Amino acid sequence: MKLFNINGTSLSVALYTDVTNSKELLESMQAGTLEPEVAFLNASLVPDIFPVLAAAHKTLVAKSRDSLTTRTIHSELVYNYSGSKHITESLKRCGISDSTTYILAARFDATPDAIEGIGKLINGKEIDLEELEGRANRPQIQKHYKISAPELGVSSLADAITCRIAARDVL
Amino acid sequence: METEADSGNGSIVLIKQGAEARVFESSFVGRRSVIKERFSKKYRHPTLDSKLTIKRLNAEARCMTKARRLGVQTPVLYAVDPVLHTLTFEYVEGSSVKDVFLEFGSRSDVEEQLSNIASQIGEAIGKLHDGGLVHGDLTTSNMLLRNDTNQLVLIDFGLSFTSTLPEDKAVDLYVLERALLSMHSSCGNVMDRILAAYRKSSKQWSSTWNKLGQVRQRGRKRTMVG
Repeated sequence: MKLFNINGTSLSVALYTDVTNSKELLESMQAGTLEPEVAFLNASLVPDIFPVLAAAHKTLVAKSRDSLTTRTIHSELVYNYSGSKHITESLKRCGISDSTTYILAARFDATPDAIEGIGKLINGKEIDLEELEGRANRPQIQKHYKISAPELGVSSLADAITCRIAARDVL
Repeated sequence: METEADSGNGSIVLIKQGAEARVFESSFVGRRSVIKERFSKKYRHPTLDSKLTIKRLNAEARCMTKARRLGVQTPVLYAVDPVLHTLTFEYVEGSSVKDVFLEFGSRSDVEEQLSNIASQIGEAIGKLHDGGLVHGDLTTSNMLLRNDTNQLVLIDFGLSFTSTLPEDKAVDLYVLERALLSMHSSCGNVMDRILAAYRKSSKQWSSTWNKLGQVRQRGRKRTMVG
């Protein structure tokens, strides 16, 4: 678990591989009974933590203005990370499915109890965030964010995603 | 457990103030960043003012990211805030082409660097124009060179727009030509080198070149008589 500070709010992030209970996680999340509440991202689409922090920043700004598009700040984080305006599609692609085994979990303002709770919730092996780059599914990312070859000539994958997250609402 | 990425509300330092916006240095979730704030014009009707400001803010963000998609380096966009009228983007470590050229003026051993910069400029503008993007304010102070890689980065898309008209592209080049002439005539004819690189990079060279000839004769503004 790693802690990031975003304008005074903390974001706790942990990366898991070989997760076996994603079906249960998805079901309890959709039922709204997930305790503690937490955001699950499809980690194959995350080549670096920075775009997640940019999405988190966007989420916190929306929260402070009471203008969240989705129901909770944690679902908003997943939606913002997608860089798309299509909510259902975003949650499906950037969130987890029945069969996801590689998951990035994130929680705003987590108490020590909540952090312990997240660890218990997920049946998998926690690994270091350094592994993100090597494990990312580059072709899938390029397809999802529509990143062309000329752009990759002048930009990293993570920077290209960050731009799409930031510019979503101006398009 | 370790903590990383300091808060972004730490220090905010004014770098520059222009007619349309103020530029600050700050940090964004742990990275050095620049905040560009378009301020309101008190002489305009408030509703109109807010509409114009937001429209331009969005257009700038769109053009910046479009340039990247065309393979031209611009600062990474971090955030757009339509309420505060701000854009937050990457702080590019490097100096402006303007400063580099001014320093070159007094030296003779810079031939190779000068060609390299000129060809990067020509290639970048060619890519923008072929993709239908006109920068609108091509001056050497709106071009930066990254310290580590010497890579050209275009900034300030505040006057940018999309267009496929040779007229708009020719005026874009003409503005740069005039700027070079007035600021950097001691560097020799940089514009010819830029145009040579532009010609290689742009598929629509001939129509733009023809138009540039006309624009040179009449100036940036079209005469609207008759």
